[in-house]
Amino acid sequence: MSLIRRLLALSLLLLPALAHAETFVFTAIPDADESRLQQRFGKVADYLSAQLGVEVKYIPVKSYAAAITAFRNNQVQLAWFGGLSGVQARRLVPDSEALAQGYEDQFFKSYFIAHTSTGLEAADSLSDALKGKTFTFGSKGSTSGRLMPEFYLREQFGMAPEAVFERVGFSGDHSRTIAQVQSGAYQVGAVNYAVWETELAEGKIDTSKVKVIWTTPTYPDYQWTVRGDVDQHFGEGFKVKVREALLNMKDPDLLASFPRESFVPASNDDYGPIEATAKAIGLLDE
Amino acid sequence: MTARAPSLFTGAAQSSVLNLNRVCLLLVAVALLALIGADLAIYPVDPWQELARVGQGILMPAWQEPRVLLEALGQTVAFALLAVAIAAPLGLGLAMLFHWRAVRVLCAAVRSVHELFWGLIFMQLYGLSATTGLLAILVPFAGVFAKVFAEIFEQQSRDPGLTLAVGLNPVKRYVYTLISQSWPALLSYTRYRFECALRSSAILGFIGLPTLGFHLETAFKQGQYAEAGALLWAFVLLIACIRFWVRPKLIPLYLALSIWLLPETLGFSNGGYLWQFVGQDIWPSALREGDLGGALSWYGEMLSEQVWPGLVQTLLLTQIALVLTALVVLLIYPLATRSMAGPLLRWPGRFLLLVLRSTPEMILAFVFLLLFGPSGLPAVLALALHNGGLIAFLVANASDAERGSRSDRPDDPRGLVRYAYIETPRRFPAMLAFLFYRWEVILRESAIMGILGITTLGFYIDSAFEEIHYDRAFLLIAVTALLNVLVDSVSRRLRRHAHAEPARQQDMSCLKLE
Amino acid sequence: MSEQHTLFQLSGQSLVYGDHRVLDNISLQIKAGEKVALVGPSGAGKTTLLHLLFQQRPEQTALQPQSGGLVDLLSVYQNIFIGALERVGTLPALWNLVRPLAAHRKAVAELVQTLGLEEKLWQSVDRLSGGQRQRVAIGRALYRQQPVFLGDEPVSSLDPLQARLLLEHLLHQHETAVVSLHNRQLALNHFDRIIVMRDGRICCDCPAGELSEEGLDAYYQQEPSPHPEPPPEDLQGWAMVKS
Repeated sequence: MSLIRRLLALSLLLLPALAHAETFVFTAIPDADESRLQQRFGKVADYLSAQLGVEVKYIPVKSYAAAITAFRNNQVQLAWFGGLSGVQARRLVPDSEALAQGYEDQFFKSYFIAHTSTGLEAADSLSDALKGKTFTFGSKGSTSGRLMPEFYLREQFGMAPEAVFERVGFSGDHSRTIAQVQSGAYQVGAVNYAVWETELAEGKIDTSKVKVIWTTPTYPDYQWTVRGDVDQHFGEGFKVKVREALLNMKDPDLLASFPRESFVPASNDDYGPIEATAKAIGLLDE
Repeated sequence: MTARAPSLFTGAAQSSVLNLNRVCLLLVAVALLALIGADLAIYPVDPWQELARVGQGILMPAWQEPRVLLEALGQTVAFALLAVAIAAPLGLGLAMLFHWRAVRVLCAAVRSVHELFWGLIFMQLYGLSATTGLLAILVPFAGVFAKVFAEIFEQQSRDPGLTLAVGLNPVKRYVYTLISQSWPALLSYTRYRFECALRSSAILGFIGLPTLGFHLETAFKQGQYAEAGALLWAFVLLIACIRFWVRPKLIPLYLALSIWLLPETLGFSNGGYLWQFVGQDIWPSALREGDLGGALSWYGEMLSEQVWPGLVQTLLLTQIALVLTALVVLLIYPLATRSMAGPLLRWPGRFLLLVLRSTPEMILAFVFLLLFGPSGLPAVLALALHNGGLIAFLVANASDAERGSRSDRPDDPRGLVRYAYIETPRRFPAMLAFLFYRWEVILRESAIMGILGITTLGFYIDSAFEEIHYDRAFLLIAVTALLNVLVDSVSRRLRRHAHAEPARQQDMSCLKLE
Repeated sequence: MSEQHTLFQLSGQSLVYGDHRVLDNISLQIKAGEKVALVGPSGAGKTTLLHLLFQQRPEQTALQPQSGGLVDLLSVYQNIFIGALERVGTLPALWNLVRPLAAHRKAVAELVQTLGLEEKLWQSVDRLSGGQRQRVAIGRALYRQQPVFLGDEPVSSLDPLQARLLLEHLLHQHETAVVSLHNRQLALNHFDRIIVMRDGRICCDCPAGELSEEGLDAYYQQEPSPHPEPPPEDLQGWAMVKS
């Protein structure tokens, strides 16, 4: 091993210092279909770049937690968060702001789904027959797959999900929740309604095996959140320009990546109920 | 004295068998007890549709964009190669200082935390960047290299050192004697570690680095099994061909290529976050505010709700997986030996072992999760098959190496009798030693399985990161690391007690840690 | 030459390994300028005694252990160069592995002529015969350029002529030497003092002129020792149980 070789490799550790800070970077995790993120959101980056007049790049992440970390570190300045992750991120980065939400996110909801072998039927409330079943949430940081379902479970049964069900799991993803309830690995699950509807339309769901048994009341979900210091770095009025660009995104091809019908204005206050819920079930500290 | 000689001999033989048996019985008994407490329920599932799709995907792999696949492969290799290129010299340096207790403790600490957890930690500091990926591999690997290199040094003759001037600068002393003496062993262990680094690098994709695991996780999550199959095959091929493409002369070229291949770090500007993370984030708020009572009750709550249940489940699964690994080895190693499977028929066996040891255990566990439903069972099976494949491979190699040696007799029995009377008794002590060395690896992997939703320590660690509770994550990782150090020392004691050491030093080093 | 200067001194020294007494009540004194041959059957404790002496004066002694202490993968040049390590800075020493230092190249090239190894200078020593390896080990000891030489059968693998020439050279290059030998003739002809050991004891310590080859043979012909001498690596361990 020559010395030169070692030096070369070592100098790599300094790479982040060389990274360009002038690029506006965003991240997004869609609620379904995480494949080819780079290709799909590359187009969104191109659109934003044209609208904002700065170089825009997309960085794919694997989880809400990773998105929050990147947002906190200022590795990304704009993020498409879920309801809960947005609240968490804005708590960690002072002055950050919710700019826009999907049209559907104004009245989002979750479905409770069950394997048909359980004999559970659709109803107006969560029935006591759920007790003692196996149950899966989606990912641990998800609003529609974790936070709201857990809130309504606690409200209905007055106890933690672990006490209601024989076993509580986290499938990690809405598509997996559907697949696992359909295969019987879990008897009951909670899932993002949009993902369910999409998969149903695509014929991926066998309704003889799994069906919806309850729908939650509506709540606000996904939103674009921007860091408070973007005006400083990218020029006065940049934040406003970002909001405009998002609200003006009309190309169905771009919107399909999220997938949303369109984007509408949103504010931090819209997510007050989410924050309160998260505190109520202990996911957020007071 | 002369009268006692024969009885001395048989006495010694009896006692080493007795010790081996005792240790084995102890392990099996502990595993049986663990069966009672472990969460191994099988759920009535209907996985056949899903499994059929998995099978089809693996038999008929397909990949739409060869460029993405090549890029992911390239970056997997780049991370692994660069991390080893830095960690090996670093470990060598630490090995020279291994007589210092502080260095030994430091090395034990860094290698007791799994690469994935290191990845999660460094991600908080360096975001999704090449630095995070490199550090996640090289930090624990440096600790492993240090320990194994120090052990290799210990086995070298002290004579060359005696001919040197006393008080010679240690760098000169090491370079001209111990390092030069053990160069082939150091190189061969580094080569083996590179294979481990490839696996670690691939797995790091699970948390977002752009290696094979990134696409593998997506493909499995989205149910795109043909793509998952393509990725898995690409990875198995990559590992199977290591000895053809890793050539000493090409390594400088590969390193240069790796640097070029490393992903560009996008828009990273916050360097001042390190102190906040170390100084604040990882400590409970009560402790930071000086509220000792609050901090105690926080620790008490964590202990009863997460640490203890996670610890118990991790240990139970580890013990069961350990014994199951031994069973897997005993069952499959003859399939890959010349003496039992035959010169031709051993190739399918060797292929099976290759697939088992190169498939990341997370992937195996994921498939079993579909089959058996959510419990510790998928984790235990995955760990046993993966580690069993690895150990069986070494055991089969040892058997082949002895073929045609002095201990081989033309009138040796064949087939099952040979298995029972010749091969297995000869291989058993080495196998047990390998198993002891893998113990702490299995423990680390059991903890990691929590990421799939099995309630080991990893489950709580993953939850803590997901819920942005770094204080909990830090405590849980520290507990996991301590447990690991503990198991390592128990394993060392048992190993000594059973006098189980493998025949070839190289094998031992190979298995030691991962 | 300071005849009075005592280099090595042992009085009533014993070493026990397990229940085996390797050195038993050894007392001796070796002064600067003495050339001492250490003879006696295998297992008599010669190696242990040599290592014990080495520990008394490590900083001015070139030790040639029985194994030679060669590093297999290094060339003859590098193995001899090791003797000069203390005279070379760390960076030049590291660089020397990549490109041999010119001055040492010249010096070692001359030295290997004396050793009859000029053809093998750049070969790694694992390819050499036992006799050739031993000559490399002698080369390293000479290249240490120390006043004291302690050799554990340093010429046992050489042919008689070579053995005699190199032993003469070794004794000429070192002011003081203590050398264990099996060849009684070499001991009688080249040393001025002979110490005969058996079973960990010194049974004869006298000027070479007072002994004959037949006299020495007598010490070998007695009943052999029941315990073979363990290898010297564990000297540290033995010292712990010093009695």
